[in-house]
Amino acid sequence: MHQVVLKLVELSLRRPRLVIALSLGISLALASQLPRMRIDTDPENMLRQEEPVRVFHRQVKETFGIKELLVLGIVRQDGIFKPDTLERITRITAEVKRLPGVVGRDVESLSSTNNVVAREGVLHVRPPLLQAPQGQEGLQRLRAEVLENPLFRDRLVSSHGQAAAIYIPILQKDMAHEVAQQVAQICRRILGPEEEFYLAGLPLAEDTFGSEMFKQMAVVAPLAGAFLMALMYLIFRSLLPVVASMAVAMLAVLCSMGAMVALGFEVHIMSSMIPVFLMPIAVCDAVHVLSDLRQRLGPGRDRREVLQKLYRALAKPMLYTSLTTAVGFSMLAWAKIPPVRVFGLFVALGVVVAWLLSMSLLPAMLSLWARPARLPQQEGSPLLGRLGRLCLRGAKPLVALLALGILFSLWGIKALRVNDNPVKWFKPHHPVRVADGVLNRLMGGTYISYLVIEGSETGAMKEPQVLAYLQALQEHLQLHPLVGKTTSVVDVLKRINYVLHDQEEAFNRLPEDRRTVGQYLFLYLMSSAPDELEEFLDYPQQRANVWVQLRSGDNRDMQAVVSHLEAFLKDNPPPAGIKAPQWSGLPYLNITWQALMVKGMLQATVGSWWAILLLLIAQFRSFWWGLLSMLPLALAVLFSYAMVGYAGKDYDMPIAVCSTLALGLGVDFAIHFVHRFRDRFSRERALEPTLSWSMGGEPALAIFRNALVVGLGFLPLMLSTLTPYVTVGLFFGSITFSAGLATLLFLPALVVAGRKVLLKEEPR
Amino acid sequence: MRKALALGVLLLLPATALALSAQEVMERAHRAFYYQGKDFKARVLMRLISKAGRERLRELVMLRKNYPQGRQKYYIYFFRPVDVRGMSLLIHKHPGRDDDRWLFIPALGMVKRVAARDKHSSFAGSDFTYEDVSGRDPGDDTHVLLRREPLQGRPTYVIKSTPKEEAFYTYKISWIDQESFLPLKEEYYGPGDRLLKVFSADKVEHIQGLPTVLQRTMRDAETGHRTEVSFTQVRYNQGLKDALFSERYLRRPPMRWLR
Repeated sequence: MHQVVLKLVELSLRRPRLVIALSLGISLALASQLPRMRIDTDPENMLRQEEPVRVFHRQVKETFGIKELLVLGIVRQDGIFKPDTLERITRITAEVKRLPGVVGRDVESLSSTNNVVAREGVLHVRPPLLQAPQGQEGLQRLRAEVLENPLFRDRLVSSHGQAAAIYIPILQKDMAHEVAQQVAQICRRILGPEEEFYLAGLPLAEDTFGSEMFKQMAVVAPLAGAFLMALMYLIFRSLLPVVASMAVAMLAVLCSMGAMVALGFEVHIMSSMIPVFLMPIAVCDAVHVLSDLRQRLGPGRDRREVLQKLYRALAKPMLYTSLTTAVGFSMLAWAKIPPVRVFGLFVALGVVVAWLLSMSLLPAMLSLWARPARLPQQEGSPLLGRLGRLCLRGAKPLVALLALGILFSLWGIKALRVNDNPVKWFKPHHPVRVADGVLNRLMGGTYISYLVIEGSETGAMKEPQVLAYLQALQEHLQLHPLVGKTTSVVDVLKRINYVLHDQEEAFNRLPEDRRTVGQYLFLYLMSSAPDELEEFLDYPQQRANVWVQLRSGDNRDMQAVVSHLEAFLKDNPPPAGIKAPQWSGLPYLNITWQALMVKGMLQATVGSWWAILLLLIAQFRSFWWGLLSMLPLALAVLFSYAMVGYAGKDYDMPIAVCSTLALGLGVDFAIHFVHRFRDRFSRERALEPTLSWSMGGEPALAIFRNALVVGLGFLPLMLSTLTPYVTVGLFFGSITFSAGLATLLFLPALVVAGRKVLLKEEPR
Repeated sequence: MRKALALGVLLLLPATALALSAQEVMERAHRAFYYQGKDFKARVLMRLISKAGRERLRELVMLRKNYPQGRQKYYIYFFRPVDVRGMSLLIHKHPGRDDDRWLFIPALGMVKRVAARDKHSSFAGSDFTYEDVSGRDPGDDTHVLLRREPLQGRPTYVIKSTPKEEAFYTYKISWIDQESFLPLKEEYYGPGDRLLKVFSADKVEHIQGLPTVLQRTMRDAETGHRTEVSFTQVRYNQGLKDALFSERYLRRPPMRWLR
């Protein structure tokens, strides 16, 4: 392998122009695929199509005719029961119904959803808000009517009358953002200064995220590139290193993204981060080459020969660092989450491409244009040198500190709290997040889960004891503070019973026999939209669907509600012939893929830990060297996660992903250090001078520079308006940076402490 | 002045004549479809079929009697679903205002008067609305004759109807048989020319010399749900008494007429 690589370098030095043209040509050919890019923003696709919970979710949606819902809230501080506001709600409803992408007749609103009330023995079937009442009395009557009806209260009107909601079913989830924009336009046109409107709902959050993601890719990726260039210039203070390393990075990004698009993969939340991830990683090899080049170049020396020598010294560590990084990322293919697999594999591909380019394009460019004047003055770092001396003297305390640090971190990891929430993918002031807060405070909750209960025969749901069980189950669910509202066929039946008996409170209960239930359900069918009952009851009346509205979209909260129900089921098993209730709906899908994610990432991390360890042992041909190289990194990774735990921040999707990545990238520092150290030691045969050369000279400086580049290189992600990018930028940057520092501090100390096992010193 | 008037009349004439004829076609269609005979009796089987092919049944007897000024009375008695056997419905239709409805609920032994503003609500959970069952006033739409064309071998008028006031559709295209004036097909469109519902008359026969749609389907184009309706035991002019269409007979079903 090593020899093949050197042949490639040699070829590049001999035919630099050809190599440059070839790498440009191939990259551009792949880049030409980019316009065919398709975006997939649906977090549901975090789960494989055939994942059982997803299959069930599709079934539930079909059986109960459920569509994805946007929730439009109209808020007026002094109450919505004013003639002008009511008139505006009516107009907005009418216009929203006509929007393309909206299932018009299923739009629910005060002015479109039928209410059944009894007045002087007559049943009135009509929307409560058919015409805005003018007088005080009419307004009072309307208010009383809707607040009295549990099918309206906290669903279409807030219980204090400050907000009205309009539920907007959309044809497809990926239309959410577009429909929402048009709804917002209608609201802005119609509403007065007294009213405010808010748009919420998980489909909206998810789809909006997608559309913002697209913008982020267009803004953040170039920004990250520019930032990286500036960083490289600050480090090297001349232009050639910047141009050369950025060329490698850009082409690597173009190749891997181009290949991904060409192979027909959709760009998902994860893969949209590929460019930003790849750039800082791709320049690492170049940083090592460039750091070393200046001191070797001198007047009268042949550039090609110098470069050849340099590559002979560096090719091995560069091969292994790239290999470990690629292995780290490709371990993500273990995750049962398709977008994570794609991400891992194509970053790995990008890393390999970057390495190939560093072995071909980079030497070719340098052989053409490198002059001493164009390269930075080579110097060691006195500070790092002093650090080296500290390691020498204080090896034992440092090793003890390392051990303590690992213990402290393991403790912190136990405090990690697994949680995620697609709405929190937006920063706090984003309209989606604001709307979410307001509407969930005022209404019964915009996060809608479904609980399906199934009997063994048709008509099972009409049995009074089954209905009584459903009622008890709902009552229990509603005890949970985050459950804003539950609605099912039970509520429909109680309502009909109540209305048919002239709204006498005594009849606000379930009917007692099956025949009455059957007739009530038929009555409901005759007074509502055709599929309104279908939301609660399937065709053969064998399965019922309870709508559970949650006030929070946190996976942790959904999980708590699930456990809350389990407690009930333990003490109250369903009646004979009825299966245990099953959850569905987007919040439930989210906790499912979160569980897979956590497990998958843990497996991937452990897997890549072993893979990298084996690689290192093979490369160093020493168990102890391999193991020691991993320790500082382990501390850095564990410590970062412990800090997440101690700080009480949620362990969410982006945080989970960072672990595997950090491992593959962070070990690079150790590989370079160990390789250069042992190379030198084989000549010096003494610890002290080798260490002071390694730390005070080029190797430690190059490592430090690389830590700086990857650590700071992710910072532009923090400018994003989407929190997963911010988290990755901050967290990943800090892990890699601390991995670099830990390597420089603890690895020498470990070497000093373990010199008897590791080194065969010759007495001087 | 006179000349101008004459010119105006001349200019308006062809347009008016065309609009009138479309209007007239629709009025005749309305009569042919909803008002045939003096009275009418049929056993109706409705099959409600979901997109996935799941089926629900409704079986009922419908009695109808015509009164002056377009008024009508309907008596509907349900046989199936089994749960609701004996439930019956009385509708007094008054063109130009809301229908009066009474409902008998056998489980409670109770008659309830219903004041409904829900002509677009589903009839018994089917894809037909109350309006589809008892007819929409042709005066509520403006009609334009688009063309004449044959449909299933029958010459038809193709007419576009646009509601004057907000309705659940933005326009409707009807194919009206030129001979019988029965609608053979109707397509309802929503905003953005989205197809909402399709009606088709699948079997037309002459009963007592009167052309009658014996099988019809309403298909919801958006959900794929459809309702197939077949009429049997159709009789016209049986001399149905006024008393049949009163609250008393809701409680005491006129079994003679229901067989």
